[in-house]
Amino acid sequence: MLEIASLHVTVDGREILRGLTLSVLPGEVHAIMGPNGAGKSTLAHVLAGREGYDVTEGTARLDGADLLAMSPDARAAAGLFLGLQYPVEIPGVSNLLFLRTALNAQRRARGEPEISGADFMARVRAEARALGLDLEMLKRGVNVGFSGGEKKRNEAFQLAMLQPRLAILDESDSGLDIDALKVVAAAINRFMSPDRAVLLITHYQRLLDHVRPTHVHVLVDGRIVESGGPELALRLEQEGYERHAA
Amino acid sequence: MSGMPPELPTRRDEAWRWADLRHAERFLGTPPPANDALPETDRLWLDLAGPRALFVAGQPVGATAQAPAPDRGMPRHPLADLAAANASAGTRLEVAAGEDAGLVQLLHIGRGGAAHGVTRVVLGAGARLTLVESFADEGQDHWLNHRLDAELGAGATLVRVSRALAGRGLVSDRAAVRMGAESRLAHLSLGLAAGALRTEVEVLLDGPGAHADVDGILLGDGGAALDSLTRLDHRVPGTSSRQRWRLVAGGTAQASIAGGVAVARHAQKTDAEQSLKALLLQRTAVVHLKPELEIFADDVACAHGCTVGELDRAALFYLATRGVPPAEAEALLTLAFVADALAGLPEGALRDALDAETRDWLVRRTGGAAA
Repeated sequence: MLEIASLHVTVDGREILRGLTLSVLPGEVHAIMGPNGAGKSTLAHVLAGREGYDVTEGTARLDGADLLAMSPDARAAAGLFLGLQYPVEIPGVSNLLFLRTALNAQRRARGEPEISGADFMARVRAEARALGLDLEMLKRGVNVGFSGGEKKRNEAFQLAMLQPRLAILDESDSGLDIDALKVVAAAINRFMSPDRAVLLITHYQRLLDHVRPTHVHVLVDGRIVESGGPELALRLEQEGYERHAA
Repeated sequence: MSGMPPELPTRRDEAWRWADLRHAERFLGTPPPANDALPETDRLWLDLAGPRALFVAGQPVGATAQAPAPDRGMPRHPLADLAAANASAGTRLEVAAGEDAGLVQLLHIGRGGAAHGVTRVVLGAGARLTLVESFADEGQDHWLNHRLDAELGAGATLVRVSRALAGRGLVSDRAAVRMGAESRLAHLSLGLAAGALRTEVEVLLDGPGAHADVDGILLGDGGAALDSLTRLDHRVPGTSSRQRWRLVAGGTAQASIAGGVAVARHAQKTDAEQSLKALLLQRTAVVHLKPELEIFADDVACAHGCTVGELDRAALFYLATRGVPPAEAEALLTLAFVADALAGLPEGALRDALDAETRDWLVRRTGGAAA
């Protein structure tokens, strides 16, 4: 589903990713772990198409299509979702308008009909209930007045509503208390299916207690230096990243 | 017109420093050419029930409508005086005490030359009127110069929308409103990519308990020059006003607001609030925001705020990651920016219609699809 080959990325003239290669198949959950500054968030942002991230070498393909040639909104319509580490506040645009605009824009881009108001609200009610989000809150501005935990729940809510093929979740566990962590983890598990995939970017093992990865990778200095199964995350939690230090 | 033509204000006058009066100079003393063809107006009316009257180049279509005498008690004003002196037709709306006249629409079409118009509103005690005055053209150069005089009796309510849709010419519209005790005014100036616009609102808060909302949304693109000026004159104790102006400028457009609040020496307990905000869509556009506060009383609350900004790039990227194309994202964020200037209007069909119209304009401007 996602094929990244020898990806080199510079930000402000500094090379952050230095030949990253990764392959994610449908039905897989990959965890990318690594120390601060390793390039984890850069990977998430460059895949989503944020400006200021220059790809100097390498490729990234989603279902065979050249991801790097697409605009950020086209990537979303193609099935890519980025859960942000720091979700943005948008005063004056309600969460519901934001989401409905997004959902319909994606549908239009794929040549599908727009969702009816009734169907949209029925889905909103079901997903909001599952994530413990108040409907009144969703009528307010996007993330405005939300706590850190509520913002992350809102990202998980958007994931559930937009139903992408590939979810890249950047530090979805940061700033969450244990109850909120379980709620977000449950949303990720509900999202997963044999034809979808998740790329979890995290510092810590604790999210992986609730979302079981199929693959774990260690990212250091812009490269994947070790890959393994879930047991690798446990070992990292005990040993840290010292042994990978250059 | 007889004798020497009157002099127009120039940019040397502080109150006119950002006004683009080139069309006025060009057409001063030039009547519109004779043309009996009826304009295509379907898309220019708001789709709301209520009586309508159409004026083409200053002449009424259908019924005859003599120009009402202006309210001589209103402050002198160069363009408003010119309108009073030259208008050959107009509208007088008098609503008896306690009556609700509902919504009335007047549509003024410019068609070459200069056309002058006068609307006079007199509301008895407790009377209510909603008046939408729209200004448009058929793509020709012209000058539409309009004046509204309104007198609100005790407890009366006037909602007025000055809606400039003109594409090529100059629209100058000045509203002067005298407010009695406990009366309410909600005034919205809506400028949607007019070629050149000068919109002015002067409110005399003469009765205790009077409250005015004077708001504006100016959306300028291309080479539009949108200029606005307000003066909220608190002349007795215990009155209040709120002004919310949202200016959006792209291309090489210019948009400006001089927002005035005056509080007389004895007008204690005045509560005046003013918020002027501008959004630059491109750095080739220009905006001017000028709060003007003259406060001579000491026991008053006069809050004011003034900001100029650009679209939030982080918000644009966030929308993009959710699949919203750039044009639509820009329209959505801009609409959010202007939305609170509509909040002074009562909730309902009129506000919804203007909200939709603003949204359509923004989406059209960016070439995006409707949300």
